[in-house]
Parts: sequence; C-alpha cells; structure tokens
Amino acid sequence: MKNRERLQFTGQGGEYFKIWIVNLLLSILTLGIYSAWAKVRRNQYFYRHTRLAGACFDYHGDPKAILKGRIIAVVLVVAYTLAGRFSPLIALAILLLILLVMPWLLKRSLRFRLYNSSYRGLRFAFYGKTGGAYLSWLAWPLASVLSVGLLWPLTQQRIVRYMRDNSAYGNALFRFTAGTGGFYKIYLLVIPMLVAIFVLLLVASQLVIPDDVEQRMAVGGALAGIGTYLGMLIFGYPYVSARLQNLIWNNTQLAGVHRFTSEVKASGLFGIMFSNLILTLLTLGFYKPFADIRLARYRIEHISLIPGADLENIVAGIESQAAATGEEIAEMFDFDIAL
Amino acid sequence: MLSARYYDGRTAVPHTVQLRVCGSVLFLQGDNLERRDALAALSIPAPLGSAPRTILFADGGRCEVEDIQGFAALFPAGPGSNQLEGRWLYAITALVLAAGLAVAAYWWGLPYLARLVADRIPDAVLTDMDGYWLGNLDDSVLGASVLDGARRQAIEQRVADLILPAGAVRPQLVFRGSERLEPNAFALPGGSVVILDGLVEMADEDEIVAVLAHESGHVSQRHALRQLLQASLVGLIVAWYVGDSSSLLAVVPSALLQTRYSRDLERSADEFAIEVMRLNHIPPGRLADLLLKLQARQAQDEAGFVRRLDSVLDYLSSHPASEERIALLRSQSR
Repeated sequence: MKNRERLQFTGQGGEYFKIWIVNLLLSILTLGIYSAWAKVRRNQYFYRHTRLAGACFDYHGDPKAILKGRIIAVVLVVAYTLAGRFSPLIALAILLLILLVMPWLLKRSLRFRLYNSSYRGLRFAFYGKTGGAYLSWLAWPLASVLSVGLLWPLTQQRIVRYMRDNSAYGNALFRFTAGTGGFYKIYLLVIPMLVAIFVLLLVASQLVIPDDVEQRMAVGGALAGIGTYLGMLIFGYPYVSARLQNLIWNNTQLAGVHRFTSEVKASGLFGIMFSNLILTLLTLGFYKPFADIRLARYRIEHISLIPGADLENIVAGIESQAAATGEEIAEMFDFDIAL
Repeated sequence: MLSARYYDGRTAVPHTVQLRVCGSVLFLQGDNLERRDALAALSIPAPLGSAPRTILFADGGRCEVEDIQGFAALFPAGPGSNQLEGRWLYAITALVLAAGLAVAAYWWGLPYLARLVADRIPDAVLTDMDGYWLGNLDDSVLGASVLDGARRQAIEQRVADLILPAGAVRPQLVFRGSERLEPNAFALPGGSVVILDGLVEMADEDEIVAVLAHESGHVSQRHALRQLLQASLVGLIVAWYVGDSSSLLAVVPSALLQTRYSRDLERSADEFAIEVMRLNHIPPGRLADLLLKLQARQAQDEAGFVRRLDSVLDYLSSHPASEERIALLRSQSR
C-alpha cells in the first residue's frame, strides 16, 4: 500500500494517571463542577498525543459550554430517576421529553466536538441537519424497537452514515460507503453465540441444581440469563466493537480519494478490555487511567490513512471553510454522551 | 532559535520555521514566510505530558514544537506545567485525598445531604404519593383485608394510644391481605403503614405494636425518601465514574454500595422502635420474638438450595442479618 500513514498514539499511563487523579480530586472538591474542565484536559491529552504524518490533533472545547451541557444532562437524569419512584406518569413524560430533545442535543454535541477538534491548524466540522438527526436517532431506533431489534443493524448503519456523511475536515468532506449488509453480518455471528451460551448454561444448571428445588427450569433459566448477559458484556461487546470499528473506518473516505483502514482484532480488544476490567476492579478503580490509555492506543494505532495521492499534495488542497458560523458556534454546548 | 512546524490556519500545509523571541515579540521565519507577533497576542496552552508544545495565533495560525525543553527556555514566562500534574508526590497526595474524600462522602456526605433534602419536601407531596403507591399495590399484589373487625379495632386503638417521642409521626394503619406476599408490614413514604393479615394472624398485640413502632421509625425519619435520594446519587456518580463503555457494569457496584445505606436505615428504625417500646412499657425483645417467628416461617417455606443461596445473599441484603438485629433488641430488653 503506497504511502500508508499509520495513526500513532504517544500517551503513557503513568503520565496520564497524574493528570487524571488531579482532575478527579478537583472534581470531587468542587462537587463535580470542575469535571467540565477535567474533560477538556483529558480530551486535550488524548488528542495531542494522537499523531498522523508528523502532526498532532488538538482539542479546543470551552469548559463552560461543557458545564452547561452537563448541568442539563444531570437535571434530566435526576428528574427522571426521582419521578420514576414516585409517579410513573411524570417519569414517562420526562422520558418522552428526553427522547424528543435527544436527537437535537446529539447533533449539537457532535457539531461542538468536531468544530473543536483540529489537525494541522484546520478544524473539523459537522453539517448534519436537524431532520436527519431525528431520523437517525429517533425514527430508526423506534422502528428498531418495534421490530424487536431486527432493524437494529440497519438503524446503526443509518446513524453512522448520518454522522460520517455530514463530517468534514477543513473543506474536505467525509463519505461513508458501507451498506447495511456489513452491519447485519456482525450481529449474525454474535446472536447464535449468545444463544449457544444460554443453552449451554441452561443445560449445565439443570445438572447442578439439586432435584428437590421447585421450578428448577425457572431457576436455571434465570441463572443462564444472567450468565448470558455477562457473556454479552465480556465477549460480545469487544467483538461487536472491533468489527464495527473496522467496518466503519474501512468504508470511510475523505475528499473522495483518500481511504482509511482499521485492523482491530476482536481477540486483541477482548484481551485489553477484560484485563482492564479485572485490574480496575482489583484496584478499586484506580487503574482506570492506565486502562483508558491502553484501550486508546490499541484502537488508534490500528487505524491508517491511505492517501489517494502524495500526502503533501493532498494537504495543499485542503483549506479551512469560511468561518461564517463563528457566532452560532459560540453558543453551542456539548452534551456529553459517548457515541 | 527553535525549530517548529507552522500551519497558517487556512491550509493544512506544514512549514518548517525558526522561532525567536526578542523582547516582547515573537519572530517566526521560514522559506518565503515571516511573521512577528506580540507575545501578549499569542495563546500558549500549558504543556501536557510529552505532547508537542503549541502556539496558537489569533488569526488561526498554529505552531507545533517537538523540543519541549527548548520551548520552555524560549518562553520562560509562559504557562509552566501544572504543578499538581507534574510530580508523583502530588499525584500520590491527590490519590489519598481523593480516596479519603470519596469514602467520607459515601459515609457521611451523601446520607447528610439526602436527609437535608428529604426534610424539606412538603408533607402534602408525600401524602399524595402514598395514595398513588397504595393504588398501584392494590392493583397488583394486595387484596382486601379479611381480619375480624374487633381485632382490627383493638390494633387501631393501641396505635392511637401509643406514646410517641417528640416529633414522631403517628402511623396511619392500612389493613390489607395478600396471597402472594409473605407476612409483613411496610411503611410508605407519606406515613401510611401497610400491615398484612398474615402478620396480624401470627403475632400478638405487643408484637404488632413493636413492628408498627419500627415502621413508624421509617416514616418519622423519612427513610423512604432518603433511601431514594441516596440511591439515585450513588447510581449517578458510579455511572459517571465507570464511564462510557461499561456503564451496564456500573449497576453492580452501585447496588452493592446502596445496601449499606439500607442497613443503616433499618438499624436506625430499630433504635426508634426500642425507644417507642420503652415509652409504652413493651420489652424491646418482643420485636425480636416476631423476627424469630418470621425467620422460622421463612425457613419452612424455602427449599434447601434456595436457603443456602439466601444465607450467602444475606451479606448483601438490605436488612441487617436478622441475628444481629435480634441480638440488639434482646440486649435492650435486659
């Protein structure tokens, strides 16, 4: 592959640990308010340690905007959990409200995140329209629920397509080329795996549970259900996550000619996620910064850019877009939901 | 002189340039490229680990410098590394402080906060809530009480005559029957106490009063509300801490963390019950008697396997182990 440029990640666990623990302490001392500043610091650490072709990425988010978003998120979640215990009717109303504003919030947050990301002095951008946001984050998920999940892979493809097709680096547009087939293929393998785990556990439970227990089948079913759920988290999640990352990046283009590849392995991701989980639990959470760095390194360093032409020639063609949206961008806020 | 990569903010083309500071002006020089900027007009972000240092120009221009030491020497007045983030000593101190604060918040902070808020919620809200909860329970697991009228009146009279400590709320009795629930009594947030026929049938009046005193402790101290507030906050904080990918796993630690709160509240309701029983000349041991009866009955109902499972889960359960409660109540009787 000619002039293939691999993404590099230079972050180190020990270095990040010091930033993380200071962030954590200040966040606790300020009852969570500092967490917005902490998030900027964290993002800057990860962005500035991500390098491509001799230059690093950067993050420019304003902590005050993030704080606004966090306050909205906390108010919504607290209102929902409290109302849920007292009056399901009010809780339902709040849930509907959350569902209704969520696509709009996600769109704004994506715009905020991309606008505040830069590489080589040029900002990224997101041009998604509100209608598209409601289609991909409300209409399609709703259809997916109504179809008992059968439409979920299709929904996921629509979401990714909306996000990628409306993203840009400078004046170069991203394009997402994968159809729904690839998404279905990922789940086609996972679901039989989960069913197999469930059946195995059910059979095993019937052998282990003594005869004098009433409703052995129901008890076994409940235990197998819990086991399958754990299996999904421990095995299913890394698998889907690895395959998704590869599918998405392998089908992303920039400015029509440049492509990306991603070669994350499900087993590699599983090894990292599982050991991260165990170590984080064993250290009562204090391994978290090291875990974050390991995961980021694995995910980032398996992505490469394949330029359609000589890199320096391409770079010369990419310019910033006219900064007419400046004022509007200033009032945007980030709604902190990881997608 | 310091070597840097410069981007003009309009194209992605890198320019190799040399940086030089003279007085309060930064000179930037490269092939066919030159700019001079007042240092005051530049934005120099604080260093972040081993990442290249950057200079951000007001017009969108940007410099990246790999030589971190050289950069610091060129801008001695620029932002230094955040002292706190720079040294292991500070990091360890922060670690100890953060852990200590987290424990303190969990032990005292959250319960105090929940109590503060719970005490400020108007009674009317809670009373409305009771009606709503009861309606829900009636539709699902509760049925009409089939108790004999005289028995019922006797219990109601005992509760009406009960001497309560200052500030305590007199429980409003609600008699119900249930085919699906074990014999039990439970308090709703607004002051109603539901008592099931099954419990009335297996207990004498003193024991019933003892249970009602315990439930009245929950009511008077607004335990339902406090529990609710604490649980929501713990859930929120753990979800925030564990973060994005494994938020589903956050359920386990937060559920474990919440059990201690419930145990504390049960203990506190027991202490309240002891006080009420003293005031009314009922030996606190009578509550223990009833607990033992309930325990014996449960043991009868459950198959061996489930009981074994139960004794393991008891460590995690919301009520303090019955043995512990019984011991406390018995010790108060002497």
